[in-house]
Amino acid sequence: MSFWRSSFARCGLIVAVLLAGLGTCWADPRTSNLWWLPENATEGGVYIDQLIYFILFLTGAVFVLTQAVYIFFIIKYRAKKGVRATYSHGNNRLEIIWTAIPTAIFIGLWGYSNHLWWDVLHSTPPANALQVGVAAYQFGFSFQYPGADGKLGKADANFVSNDNMFGNDPDDPDAKDNFTSSTLEIPVNRAVHIRLDSKDVIHAFYVPQFRVYQDILPGRIIDWVWFTPTKIGKFQLACSQLCGSGHYNMKADIQVVSEADFEKWYQEKAKAVQPQPGAKLSSITETKDQ
Amino acid sequence: MSQTIAHSGAEAHAETVHHHELSFFHKYIWSEDHKTIAIQYLFASFFFLIIGGLLAMGVRYQLAFSGAPIPLIGTLLPKWLVTDAGAIQPQGYNGLVTMHATVMVFLVMMPLLVGVFGNFLIPLKIGAPDMAFPFFNALSFWLFLVSGIILLSSYFAPTGFPAAGWTAYAPLSANGAYNGSQAGQSLWCIGLFLNGLASIAGAVNYITTVINMRAPGMKMFRLPLPVWAIFITSILLLLAVPVLSAAAAMLFCDLNFGTSFFEASHYGQPLLWQHLFWFFGHPEVYILVLPAMGLVSEMLAVFSRKPIFGYKAMVYAMVAIGFLGFIVWGHHMFVSGMNLMLSSTFSLSTMVIAVPSAIKTFNWLGTVWGGSIRFTTPMCFALAFVSMFVIGGLSGIYMASTPVDLFIHHTYFIVAHFHYVIFGGSLFGVFGAIYFWFPKMFGHMMNEFWGKVHFVLSFMFFNLTFFPMHNLGLNGMPRRIADPGLYDFLKSQQPLQIFVSLSAFGLGLSTLIFFVNFFYSMFKGPKAPRNPWNSTTLEWTLPSPPGHGNFPVTPTVYNGPYEYSVPGMDQDFLPQNQPAPKTARLAVH
Repeated sequence: MSFWRSSFARCGLIVAVLLAGLGTCWADPRTSNLWWLPENATEGGVYIDQLIYFILFLTGAVFVLTQAVYIFFIIKYRAKKGVRATYSHGNNRLEIIWTAIPTAIFIGLWGYSNHLWWDVLHSTPPANALQVGVAAYQFGFSFQYPGADGKLGKADANFVSNDNMFGNDPDDPDAKDNFTSSTLEIPVNRAVHIRLDSKDVIHAFYVPQFRVYQDILPGRIIDWVWFTPTKIGKFQLACSQLCGSGHYNMKADIQVVSEADFEKWYQEKAKAVQPQPGAKLSSITETKDQ
Repeated sequence: MSQTIAHSGAEAHAETVHHHELSFFHKYIWSEDHKTIAIQYLFASFFFLIIGGLLAMGVRYQLAFSGAPIPLIGTLLPKWLVTDAGAIQPQGYNGLVTMHATVMVFLVMMPLLVGVFGNFLIPLKIGAPDMAFPFFNALSFWLFLVSGIILLSSYFAPTGFPAAGWTAYAPLSANGAYNGSQAGQSLWCIGLFLNGLASIAGAVNYITTVINMRAPGMKMFRLPLPVWAIFITSILLLLAVPVLSAAAAMLFCDLNFGTSFFEASHYGQPLLWQHLFWFFGHPEVYILVLPAMGLVSEMLAVFSRKPIFGYKAMVYAMVAIGFLGFIVWGHHMFVSGMNLMLSSTFSLSTMVIAVPSAIKTFNWLGTVWGGSIRFTTPMCFALAFVSMFVIGGLSGIYMASTPVDLFIHHTYFIVAHFHYVIFGGSLFGVFGAIYFWFPKMFGHMMNEFWGKVHFVLSFMFFNLTFFPMHNLGLNGMPRRIADPGLYDFLKSQQPLQIFVSLSAFGLGLSTLIFFVNFFYSMFKGPKAPRNPWNSTTLEWTLPSPPGHGNFPVTPTVYNGPYEYSVPGMDQDFLPQNQPAPKTARLAVH
């Protein structure tokens, strides 16, 4: 095959690689932060980021290595007059090596991932964790805080209705003084243990800066998600599971504030709300000014 | 490239074979000839590819220019899709996303890989006159076509396309009050049900044909890799697709007859849908890539003029993928709310399934090593397949790790990942395979120069479109959000969104070059010889295109499929039906 053809193909490859790099440079990294991960704002997120960088390093190395070898072969072994291809059907020793090494790496990676999954991200939340109920509906979120007793009380998916978004047990006195908010106000450096339920379809609790994602299921209360915010500031909660015509705009604000500010906010809200048999939709609209 | 063609006694008569003339109807419409059915599948998939591509253009237009009326055609589009001014509405966007994926998966990639190449290649490569059940085969195509028409017909429904995503997560998909497209979603269920029947009919046919109709001497370990790949794929289809069909029927009942399989408000189980869907859906991912792996393996061997490196390792790796493919579906559901222990176990099986893919990649590298590489258009696509598949495979490791999935689940990272596998992988493989087998299908050659132009442009634009999506996803861009500008943390991404969209338009346009080349060459391309690529497998011993009934005399197979550059032979390939000359020093392996 003529040299022109092979060089043509290689030029194409080179141009493509360059342009692909250019594409990634498109957005200004200083303003968009697109080169690296978005800022991390939780304790658990640190571990996730470390793992991402580790996998990036691992896969990056594998990618560069295999592609370098591959492109080297492609160029070196292009058809040349009078040179025949090597006649080889393979090599069993190589097969064993390149089966065993990836297997060991992947199982090791699983071991570490699994350790994080259980021992860090889904361990038992600390006793002083702030309990917050999160109810999702087409198309919004509502948040429920425990009253003065610090307890949300029992909840069951069977109780979830328009009048009882959080599925509070009507017979549980602990739930009587709960109050609701349309924004998620949380104190910095204290664990937040959220209890998720949905009134209608599947929604999701997704905050990129918190490195947290959890689907919110109708008919099931999910109570294993907790995180400890480490940065004061405003964040956004996005529904990340397609949930209907209003999905594109289903979001809520999250305010991470100092412990003192939170205490102030909490006391005001707790005082304002009379004990009630479970949060009602109407009470959500009342607190919209938040 | 020399045009030496090996003739055995039987083949010399091939051109003179005479079959009774078929009527127009039986020749082109209800044809039971596997080659005609393959071509019917090809044209139908092209039609759907154009539709699916246009839907993707709509999606990219919305993400880049949210709220801007679509130029020229905006006001002509139906009201469920666009506003009065002609800009895409959020619900219309959901419909575009849903149908783009549904069309591309069920009406483009599956038929292209399995319908076209399964049909065309299996009998020709194993030395059979046709499929085991020709009637079933024709039925399969027409069921497929009807399913496609039903799926697309929802465009004309007042509420438009189904809008619950191609994964159709219940209860959104199970209740018209939730999804706002009762008619579209119901048609989706019917369409997928029929599509499933077509797949099952096809799968039964392929499996039976491969097991029962191989020519004498065609041992299982002498099968060309595309046949192995489609054979294993067919087994996956046979076991996975019925589950989807059943689930679609259940969903249809939930939507229309008040049953409550998936509706939580009536004690149904939303997660049941996800388990059923992904029990089908993960083998489906391998259904969409295994055949392309087979096709690419063959092209790499032919154009490197080398035996495939580690033939048996390749087969075992595919068998392993097929088996493991059935126990990894839960990795789509790490954060779905299922038991956390299940996430652990599915994470392990998912890590393990990466191993056979790694094995295949290393063997492709081994095949290219020491070769005498010819950079034809099919070879360029095959070479690109390997690189793109490596990217798609490596990005999968991120999702396999449960803690990382907590962060990037349902973001554009996953969109980048599966497009690298299904577009950069499978569709590139299919493009290569079309350039490669076009001469055998239509008796003409495709234009090499325009083939290269198509390759370079689509390779560039593909990477420019999909690589930046990794960054978008890591930066927090969720899938299926009609207007990212509404989120504070996504505003800075807008320039990159526009860049991705412009690249996607370029990718769409580059495909036009392919279509022009294809249809021009069909009629005006240079006449194809029997064996333009000096290939070893049986289809190249026949005239281009082969006559009805394929082989005038059943061939006898003496060699493995990839005996290239055998020492001691003048010509650098040894056809499967030709006994090795005494001087040839064949390797025993």
